[in-house]
Amino acid sequence: MNWAVRISGLAFASLLLSSVAAFAGPKIVSGPGANPECFKPWSDKTKFFQWDKKPGPYRIALVNGFVGNTWRIQMVKTAKAFAEQPGIKENLKEFKVVSTGTDVAAQLGAMEDFINQGFDAIITIAVAPDGFDRIIRLADKNNVVVVPFDNILDTDKVMMVNEDQKEMGRMSAKWLIDESGKTSGDILEVRGLPGNSVDRDRHLGFREVMEAPGNKFNITEVVGNWDTGTSQKVTADALAVHGHFDGVFTQGGSDGTVRAMMDAKQPFVPMSGEGENEFRKQIMEHYKEGLKGMSYGQSPALVAIATKAAISALQGNVMPQLISIPIPVATYKTLKAGENYWPDLNANFFAPNQFLPCGVTFTAPEIMAQSEANK
Amino acid sequence: MSSAAEVPAPARFRFEDSSLAIKLRQNVGLVTAIALFCVIYLLYHVAHPKGFSSAVLVQNGDEIFTLAMVAMAQTVPVLAAGLDLSVGALMTMVGCFASYLLSGAPEGTPINLDLGGLHLVLATLPGGTTGLIVGMILCLVIGTLAGLLNGCVVVFGRIQPIIATLATGAIYIGIALFLRPQPGGKIDDDLNWAMTNSLGDFASTVHIFNDGAAPWFAPLAWIPVPFVLIILIAALVWVPFRRSVTGRAVYAVGSAEGAAYMSGLPIERAKIAAFTLGGFFAGCGGLFLAIQTSSGNADLPQAGAYTLNSIASVVIGGTSLLGGSGGAIGSIFGAMILRVISFFFRIFDIAPLLQPLFEGIILLAAVSIGALRMLRVRNTLELFR
Repeated sequence: MNWAVRISGLAFASLLLSSVAAFAGPKIVSGPGANPECFKPWSDKTKFFQWDKKPGPYRIALVNGFVGNTWRIQMVKTAKAFAEQPGIKENLKEFKVVSTGTDVAAQLGAMEDFINQGFDAIITIAVAPDGFDRIIRLADKNNVVVVPFDNILDTDKVMMVNEDQKEMGRMSAKWLIDESGKTSGDILEVRGLPGNSVDRDRHLGFREVMEAPGNKFNITEVVGNWDTGTSQKVTADALAVHGHFDGVFTQGGSDGTVRAMMDAKQPFVPMSGEGENEFRKQIMEHYKEGLKGMSYGQSPALVAIATKAAISALQGNVMPQLISIPIPVATYKTLKAGENYWPDLNANFFAPNQFLPCGVTFTAPEIMAQSEANK
Repeated sequence: MSSAAEVPAPARFRFEDSSLAIKLRQNVGLVTAIALFCVIYLLYHVAHPKGFSSAVLVQNGDEIFTLAMVAMAQTVPVLAAGLDLSVGALMTMVGCFASYLLSGAPEGTPINLDLGGLHLVLATLPGGTTGLIVGMILCLVIGTLAGLLNGCVVVFGRIQPIIATLATGAIYIGIALFLRPQPGGKIDDDLNWAMTNSLGDFASTVHIFNDGAAPWFAPLAWIPVPFVLIILIAALVWVPFRRSVTGRAVYAVGSAEGAAYMSGLPIERAKIAAFTLGGFFAGCGGLFLAIQTSSGNADLPQAGAYTLNSIASVVIGGTSLLGGSGGAIGSIFGAMILRVISFFFRIFDIAPLLQPLFEGIILLAAVSIGALRMLRVRNTLELFR
C-alpha cells in the first residue's frame, strides 16, 4: 500500500479546497529556549520548537473538556484573571473560553472551529490522550499554536505544559513507604477519572515504586473520579470490605477520602493526596493523631503558564516541546497557615496557585473570591 | 350551452385538506425540528467569520456524525416503546474493535486473542484497502450482532428494555475496557483523512474520479463526507426499513402493542429488528468516531454522555418517548440542533461558567416548541392520542 506517497497530493488538493496558507507548523530548532525559569524543558532530550513570528495582539481560545469540579472552575477563573493581567492583556485581542464536556468529537469540533475562525493559538485540556492527529495537522497547516496542558497528548508534535504526573505517583508511594516504615501491608489507591493520561500516569508512577522488588504491598484500587463525593463513597465502601489500610493514596477529592476514614472511625494512617485546601486543613488538624499527610498539587494555574507559552511561541521565541512545571509539594512538616493553606477559609479550592517565575502572582483565595459576574 | 346556474360550484381549494397539509400535520415534530435547525444553523454561519465555507461544513459534519448515528440508533427502539441505554456503550465497544481492525498495516492485520495465557490466532485481515473494507464491515457486523443480542434479551428474556439494555450496556463497556484498558490503537492515516473531509479530499485520497479533478465532480467536491454518509445511511437503510412490514410493525408495537398483537403483526420480529437496527446505527457511529480520532478509547463518561444526548436528540427530533410516532430522520435533525446550540459559544462571548445554563435554557425552549400544540387542543382527551 502506498498511502504514504499520496499524502503530498492530498495536502495539495486540500490546500486548493480550503484555500489556506501554505504548510508551516513549528520548525525543530536547538535550544535553549526563551525564559527558561518559566518554560523549563522536560528533560535533556526535549526538542525545541520555533514558529514564525506573528504580529500581536493575538486571538487565543481555551477549549476545556469536562467542567463541573472545583479544579476546572478554579482553572477557568485563573485563565480569565490571567488574561486581564498587565503584560498579558496587551498581547490579547480576544480570549475565548468554551467547555465541551467529556465528548471527544465536540472537543475536536470546537478546536477546528477556532482554527477556521482564524485564532492564533488554542489552549486545551484534552479529554483523551489520543485522537488529535487531524487537529494537529490542520493547526500546523494554518499556523495555529496548539498547547495542551494538564491532560496532555501522547505525541511529540505539539508544545505541551504539564507537571510530571508519574513523579507525583512515585512521590506519593515513597511518602507512604517512608512514613509507615513498612514494605508490606494493605494500601488503598483511589484513582481519578478513567481514560485520561493524568490518571494513568499517576497510577503507573505509584505502582512503579510500590511494586518494586522487595516490597510486598496488597493494593486495593477504587475509582474516585477526582471528586470529593465519589472519593468519599468509594473509600467508605473499601473500608467496609477491608476493614483496615496501612496507607492511602488518593488522586483527588482527597478531603472526601479523609472524611470517609473519619466516619468509619479508622485510625489515621500515612496518606498522600492532591492539593485541596480542605485536605491540607485536615492534615494539620489530625497529623498528631497519625494523619501524616503529603499534598502534591496539580495547579490550576497551569492554564496561565500555557497561555503565556502560547504568546511566547507566537512572538517567535524558541520553546521546549514539553514544558515541565515543578510540582508544588507540602507535607505536615511544611504546611504553613496563610502561605500554602488557609485554615479560615471553608470554600473548597486548590491551594497551589502561584508560579512566580512565570509571573503568576495571584493566590488561590484571591482567585476564588472573584465572582464570575464581575468579569 | 348551459347556464351558469347549472354548473356545480367548483369545490374551493382548502389547504388544510390537501395531501401536503396532511403530511405536514402528521409530521409536525419533524417539520418543527427541520425549521428550527435551519434557523439556528443559518445564524451560526452568518456569525462565523468563515461561514458557508467547506472547511466549516466539514468541521460540523465530523462533529455531528457520531451523535446523529447514535440518535438514529436510539430512535428505533423508542418507536417500539422501549428505551435503549446501551447505545453509547455499544458505540464505544465498536470503536475499540475498530482501533484493532483498521490499522491498515500493509502486511495485514493479525487478529489474536490473549486470554489468561492462552494465545489464539483467530484470523488475519489482508493488508491494504481490502483489509480496511473488510475491517469496517466486521465492525458494523459486531455492532449489529450486539443490537441483535439486545433484542433477544428483551424479547426472549421478557425483560423491560430499559433494564435489559442497562445490563447489556455494562457488558459492552466491559468488552471495550478489556480491549482498550488504556486509550490507543492505530487507524490508517488516509482512511482518517478521507472520511473526515470533503468529497474532494476523499476522491484524491482514494484515487477516484481522476483524483477528484474530474470536471463534472468539481461542483460536488465541497460536500463533507460525513453528511453524504448520513444521507446514504438514512436513504438506504432507514427509509426501506420504515416502509417494510417489520418497520410498520415497529410503529404499531409502539402505539398499541395489544392491538398490534390482535392484528397478527409480527411483534417479536419487530422488536428484535428494532434493537438490531439500533445496533447497526450505533456501530456506524462507533466506527466513525474511531476513524475520526484514529484510536479506540473505552471512555465511560463519554459513553454515558452519548446515551443521554441520543435520548435528547430523539425528543427534539419529534419522536414520542411513548413510542409509535416520529422517525429517525427527525432524530438526525435533533442531534444537529443539540450540537449547533453549543457552536454558538465558540462565536459569541458568553461567560464560560454560564454556558451550561444557556445550553439548558435553549434546549428547554427547543423541546417546548414541540409541545405548543397543547395550547390548541379543544379536548383534553386529544392529549392522549
